[in-house]
Amino acid sequence: MTKTKNLRTRRSLVGLAAAAALLLGACGSDDKTDTANSGSPDTTASSGEDAAGGDKVTLTYFTFSAAPDHLADLDTIITAFESENPSIHIEVQTAAYADYFTSLQTQVAGDAAPDTFELNYENFVTYARGGALLDLSPYVTDGSIDPARYFPLALDGFTESGTQYGLPATFSDVVLIYNKTLFDAAGLDYPTADWTWADEQAAADALTDPAAGVFGNYQPVSFHEFYKALAQTGGSFFGPDGKASFNDAKGVEAATWLTHKPGTTMPTLADIGGTPDYDTALFKSGKLAMWHNGIWQFTGLNETGIDYDIVVDPGNTTKASAVFMNAAVASKGTSHPVEAAKWIAFLTGSPTTVETRLASSWELPAVNDEAAFATYLTSGAPANRQAVFDSLDNVALPPVLERQQEMQDIVANALESVLTGGVDVQTALDNAAAEVNALLD
Amino acid sequence: MAEHTIRSRQRTFGRYSVLLFGAVVMIGPFIWMVVASLKTDTDIQRIPPGLLPNPVTGANYTRVVDTFPFWRFMANSIGVSLASTLLQLILATTAAYCFARIEFRGRNGLFGLYLATMMIPQQVVIVPLFIEMRNLHLINTYAGLLLPTIVSSFGTFLMRQAFLALPKELDEAAFVDGAGHLRVFFRILLPLTGPALATFAVFAFMASWNAFLWPLVITSGSQSHMTLPVGLAQLQGRFSTNWNVVMAGSVMSIAPIVAFYAFTQRWVIRSVAFTGTKG
Repeated sequence: MTKTKNLRTRRSLVGLAAAAALLLGACGSDDKTDTANSGSPDTTASSGEDAAGGDKVTLTYFTFSAAPDHLADLDTIITAFESENPSIHIEVQTAAYADYFTSLQTQVAGDAAPDTFELNYENFVTYARGGALLDLSPYVTDGSIDPARYFPLALDGFTESGTQYGLPATFSDVVLIYNKTLFDAAGLDYPTADWTWADEQAAADALTDPAAGVFGNYQPVSFHEFYKALAQTGGSFFGPDGKASFNDAKGVEAATWLTHKPGTTMPTLADIGGTPDYDTALFKSGKLAMWHNGIWQFTGLNETGIDYDIVVDPGNTTKASAVFMNAAVASKGTSHPVEAAKWIAFLTGSPTTVETRLASSWELPAVNDEAAFATYLTSGAPANRQAVFDSLDNVALPPVLERQQEMQDIVANALESVLTGGVDVQTALDNAAAEVNALLD
Repeated sequence: MAEHTIRSRQRTFGRYSVLLFGAVVMIGPFIWMVVASLKTDTDIQRIPPGLLPNPVTGANYTRVVDTFPFWRFMANSIGVSLASTLLQLILATTAAYCFARIEFRGRNGLFGLYLATMMIPQQVVIVPLFIEMRNLHLINTYAGLLLPTIVSSFGTFLMRQAFLALPKELDEAAFVDGAGHLRVFFRILLPLTGPALATFAVFAFMASWNAFLWPLVITSGSQSHMTLPVGLAQLQGRFSTNWNVVMAGSVMSIAPIVAFYAFTQRWVIRSVAFTGTKG
């Protein structure tokens, strides 16, 4: 008898506990006062939110370019900003570039986007068209943002349908880096700004020495190199009708230029074996004569003592250089748009930022200020730093779609199928064009 | 007689060669990791790569600690992994006891459903789960890091198998003596599943320690609650990576797992050795 009574008591206790749990759960979820703050994620920062009246405002800034080498530089910029704006506190959130967009997309989808964050040119379109970004026009009008401060090309790059959504923070470009020692040993003239693909090919053939493991040139067979090579031969990724046009004769020429290198003047894909930074290691070991890579390599190369210089990327019928740009943007749902605009204007254009970036080789600020770059031009190897700016005269911007990542994958796979699958270049490009056109719908 | 000895010596030699080969293959990557962590920036990029560091440098370890709040990441990882393992043990064993020993209607169907959830990839649930955590105000908190990880279908399955292997007579004898379910569970059955518990604990700890996607998403880039895998991933730059520094970080991050395994090694081996035999 006691056992039955105990059982009944236990069952009712369990029932009560379950009901209590449900009630607690309901209490936790719907807090009306928090819908106003839905822009900022919950953090353990103790600083208060909002105010009319001089309370501290905390802004979050999510970035992929600061970690791991430039966290201290970012802190310098933040300290300068906070001393000019004592009521605003910036909280930094970081992620590696490879994981950044996973985290960012989840936050945006979950309506918990950071107040301000960093975007690169290729991904900007997705976020702008998806309505995730704050329209910056009111802040241009009220003077917080000075459009004249930025390179016009860079500023335009971050507009969508005529509306300014981002401020250009940095730019970097791809040049031809060459090993002077290898050129001297072979008795060849150094590359010049007038070089074309034919000149590069001739030099690469002369400099490749398989027995010594030395290669003439290295250009990754990738989406980024493809659209650049396409521009260098006068082609274009999308035609006037908006459809993919990279499978025409010029596209085939560009793809052939890229895919004929591995195995002749460049290691084969099998040799590279998917090793990251294989080309960097090859050049730093003095085993690569010409290298298509970016200006971010300078610091690392200077540490090795290799005798090198740079020149604008050789074109075929015309010059075109790949330029990468990053922007600082604010999220549409931020609860502090005025402060956010102030912060990104400071981050992208202030004198402190320009000085800090140049001094630590943390990419180049996209500011329209020749005097600021005077120190950069004379700060050591490579001697021909002017080529960094000359490259901006003819830019090959990446084609951008809302479904950017898929498009990049399609092109990358097509090029790889030529190399490893023995597929004919025209066929591979035709298939890729059809797939890219399917993405446009 | 002599021929017999020669052949048995050949067999022993053969066995040891295979084992040695296996050992080299298993330990090789770890040795490479330690060697790489002692190389300089130039040395790590040499082609072909050298087998030994030249010169040897311990600077990479300090670089890791200087770049990030490494000890904070380590503490977060240890804390979250231990808490997650403990909670998983508690929840999985109690659930397993119910599935193994208590008869109720729909038991097998419910257990099947439990197992079916193992087939859902994490990537599918990550956005809804994040939204749920945001609604609960658990973004960038330890509770948010822990809660989705503490229910383990795999653990329930493992412990259920362990309980099923124990004879029902043990329970019945205890019930006759007046024990309730709780006492049977704690005093009689649980102590007999020691090796299975240890195996599960090791798996749970390793999974929690190495978890990347959920901690990446729930911490939203904030360094206060970041765990080691997410923190160390930031050592990889956008355009280039100093692999020697990454290796130094990795060496430091596997030290706790190695220690944990050394501690529970005895039970894990016993559990594996006694697979298929009773008790």
